Amino acid sequence: MDIKMNVNHLPALTYRFLKANDSEIDLKDLYIEDTKTPEPENIPSSVTVKSDLSEDDVKEIFLKVNEKIESKKADLPGPNGDTAPLNDGQIVRTGMGAAVDNLMKEMNVPVTVYTVSEGYKTEEPVVVKYSLKNGSCVLGSQVIHAKKNSEITVIMEYDSEENAKGFLGIQTRLLAEEGAKINLIKVQMLSEDVMHFDDVGGICDDNADIETINMQLGAKDTWGGDRITLLGDKSIYNNHTGYLCRHKQTYDMNYVADQIGKKTESNMIFRGVLLDEAVKTFRGTLDFKAGSAGSVGDEQEDTLLLSPDVINRTMPVILCQEEDVDGRHGASIGQLGDDVLFYMESRGIDEEEAKRLMIRARMESIARMIPDEAMIVRIQQYIRNIL
Amino acid sequence: MSENEKAVVDIDRSVYDIKDVENEQDFYRMEDGFTEDIVMKISEEKHDPEWMRKFRLDCLKLYNSLDMPPWGPDTDELDMNLISSYVRSKSDMKGKWEDVPEDIKNTFERLGIPEAERESLAGVGAQYDSELVYHNVKDEVSDQGVVYTDMESALTGEYSEMVHEYFMKLVPPTDHKFAALHGAVWSGGSFVYVPKGVKVDIPLQSYFRLNAAGAGQFEHTLIIVDEGADLHFIEGCSAPKYNVANLHAGCVELFVKKNARLRYSTIENWSKNMYNLNTKRALVEEGARMEWVSGSFGSHTSYLYPMTILKGDHSQMEYTGITFAGKGQNLDTGAKVVHQGKYTSSLISTKSISKSGGIGTYRSSVVINKEAKHAKTSVSCDSLMLDSISRADTIPGMDIRTDDADVGHEAKIGRISDEAVFYLMSRGLSEEDARAMIVSGFANPVSKELPLEYAVEMNNLIKLEMSGG
Repeated sequence: MDIKMNVNHLPALTYRFLKANDSEIDLKDLYIEDTKTPEPENIPSSVTVKSDLSEDDVKEIFLKVNEKIESKKADLPGPNGDTAPLNDGQIVRTGMGAAVDNLMKEMNVPVTVYTVSEGYKTEEPVVVKYSLKNGSCVLGSQVIHAKKNSEITVIMEYDSEENAKGFLGIQTRLLAEEGAKINLIKVQMLSEDVMHFDDVGGICDDNADIETINMQLGAKDTWGGDRITLLGDKSIYNNHTGYLCRHKQTYDMNYVADQIGKKTESNMIFRGVLLDEAVKTFRGTLDFKAGSAGSVGDEQEDTLLLSPDVINRTMPVILCQEEDVDGRHGASIGQLGDDVLFYMESRGIDEEEAKRLMIRARMESIARMIPDEAMIVRIQQYIRNIL
Repeated sequence: MSENEKAVVDIDRSVYDIKDVENEQDFYRMEDGFTEDIVMKISEEKHDPEWMRKFRLDCLKLYNSLDMPPWGPDTDELDMNLISSYVRSKSDMKGKWEDVPEDIKNTFERLGIPEAERESLAGVGAQYDSELVYHNVKDEVSDQGVVYTDMESALTGEYSEMVHEYFMKLVPPTDHKFAALHGAVWSGGSFVYVPKGVKVDIPLQSYFRLNAAGAGQFEHTLIIVDEGADLHFIEGCSAPKYNVANLHAGCVELFVKKNARLRYSTIENWSKNMYNLNTKRALVEEGARMEWVSGSFGSHTSYLYPMTILKGDHSQMEYTGITFAGKGQNLDTGAKVVHQGKYTSSLISTKSISKSGGIGTYRSSVVINKEAKHAKTSVSCDSLMLDSISRADTIPGMDIRTDDADVGHEAKIGRISDEAVFYLMSRGLSEEDARAMIVSGFANPVSKELPLEYAVEMNNLIKLEMSGG
C-alpha cells in the first residue's frame, strides 16, 4: 500500500514560505504485516490488558471526558488560520492529527488498552518493546487508561535489526482520570533506514498528570506529535524531549498543550542536536482556552547546531483566549559557545571531543529521567556507538 | 472589582472621524471594482509611460490568479466589487499650504499636519484619497540634493529611470494577491532620494488620509538612501469611520545603501472599517542599518509585517512595534527578516494589547540563510490581555540554515499582575491609575523611540484611562 497524508498541522497557520504549516508523509509500496501490540515483558497485577479492541470501544472509554470537553467549549473566535476543524472527529485530539486515525481505521489496526485500577499505583513500569526485523512494516495502537487516583508508567522502546529497512507507525492515546498520573516514556533507537511516526494524544481530568519523556535517536524520517488536553482543573502536563539527528535524518514534530481547566500547568522542554545534513521542524503550542484562569505554561527549546548544512525550523506558538494566564516560550539555537569551548580546551579537551561531550550531556540529561537503569545504559551505549 | 472598574476606555477617535463630504463637482471617483477598463482609465488619468501601463495590466491578471493566504484574518466581508480604486480632488497638487482647497486643508489642520511641518519636519507630503494634494520640502534640505516628491512626478520626470529601475523590484507583484492589486491600481505616494553622505537631521513625513467611503488607497512609497546617508521618514494614516469597508493596500520599498541608515516610523490609525493589507520591505546593504518603529491602532483588519532583507555583510535591523486591538478589530501584525550577509544582526521587539473582544496576533519570521555566517537575531514579543473576551496570539517562525548563527527568542503572554497593582496602590495610587500606569509602561519601549510629538499622539491614541466605579 501507499501512505500519503498530511500530519502535524500547526494549530494556527502561518506564512506558507516557511513550509511548516504541516508535513506530508509520502511512503510507497508498504506491506503492513503486523498490527498487534507486542505483549509487555511483565504486567503488574493492578494493570489489565485488553487486546483487539475497536475504535468504538475507545470512544466508550473517552465518552465522559469528551462530554466534559463539549460542555466547556466557549463560543469565541479561534485564532487566525485555525486548523482545529481539520482534526474534528478525533476521539482524542493527537499531535499528528486525524490522518493517523484514518490510517489506523483503514488498516483495521486493533487497539490494546492498558487499564490501571482505581487507587493503584504500579511499582514497576509496563515495558512494551517493538523490535523491527529487516523489511517489516508495522502499525500499532494503544490506549493507556489510568483510573481515578491511580498511577502507571509505560515504557515503549522501538529498535530494529542493524541496518534494517522498514516502517513503524504507532498511535498512543492516554486518559488520566481525576487524581491519576500517567508516565509515558518513548525511546526510539531504530536503524537509519526505518521510516517512523509516533502519534500521542491525551486527556487529563481534575488534578491529573501526564508526564512524557521522548528520546528520538534513530530512524530515517521521523514524525512525532503529542497533544495533551488539560481538561480538568489543576491538571498537569510535563514533557521532556531529547533528539539527536545526523546524516540526512529528518525529525518533524508537533507538540500542543490545550489548557482548558482552571489552574492547569504545562511545561515542555526540548533539547536537541543537529549534525551533518539533518533537518528538524519543531512546532510547539501552548493554547490557553477561555476559562483556563490561573493556568501557566512554559516551553523551552535548546538546539545545538553542529554542522553548516543542517536546517532548523522552529515554530513556537502561544494562543490565548484567557486574561488570567501566564504563558512563556524561550528558544536558544546555535553552536557551542566560545566560552564552553575555551573552558574545555583549558582542560585539555579538543573541540571534537568537547562536541561529543556536549551531545552526550544533552541527551543524558533527558535519558536520566527514565526510571529504568538498563534502558539508560542502552541509550548511553547507542549514543556512544553513533558518535 | 466590577466590570465597570476594570474597563479600559476606548480610544478617542473624534478628530479622526470627522467626515468631509466629497461632492461630484470637486471630486472625481472611479466606478467600483477592479477590471481591465478601470486599470486602463487609471493609467490614462496618470499619463503613465507605456511600461507602466503594461505593468498594471500584467499585475491585474496576476491579482485575479492568486489566492488569499489561508493563515490570516478573515476578509470575507471585504467585497472588492464595492471598492473604488481611485478617488481624487479635481484640484492639482499644491506646493503652498494656502493653495490647498479649503475643505481638504481643514481636514489636515485638524490632524495637526501643517503645525508639525512648521515645528519638526524637513518636508511633508499629504495624500487625500488617491492623490497627493500637498507636497513641500524645506529649502535647506533640497539644497543638500535630497529629492522628496510625489511618485507620479518621479515616474514621468527627472527620476523616471530610477523609478523604472526600482519600482516593485523589492516587492514583486507575485509576492501576494494584494501586492499584485497594488501594482495594478497604485496611485499617489512619495519618492525620496537621499544622496551619498547626506544626513537629513529632521524627519520627512507623509500623511495619508482616506476620506471617501468605500474607497481604496494604494499609495506607493519608494525611498533610496544612498551610501553613507541618513534619513528618518515618518508615515501617518487616518480615515473617518463609515459603515462600508475601505481598503488600504499600499506598498513601501526602501533601499538602504552601503553604510546608510534609515528609520521608518509609522503611526497607523485607520478607522475601524478599514482593511489594511499593506506591504513594506527594506533591502539593506553592507554596513547599513534599518530601523522600524511601528504603532498599529486602527483598522478593522490588518495584515502588516514589515520585512527586512539584510543583504550586505554587517548590515543590521531593529524593529520596535506595538499593536492595540480593541472591539471589532483583528490586527495581525509583526515583522519578517532574512539574513543573507555575514555578521548581520536583527532585533525584533514587539508589544501587543488586546481588549474588548479584539484579536491581536503577533506573527513573524526569521530566516537565516546558509551564507549568513555569524548572524545574530533576538526576538522578544510580549502580549497583554485586558479581559477574557479578547485574543492574543503569538505565531513566530524561525528557519535557520547555518550552524554559525546565534538565535534567541522569547515570548510572554499574560495579564496585569495583581502584585504590581497592589504595589502601586500601596504607594497611594488608585486601582484605575495603577492599571493605567502599568499599561503605559508596557507601551513605553515603543513611544520612547518616536519623536516627542508622535509619542504624544501615540499616548493620546492609547488613552488608557480607567473608568471610576
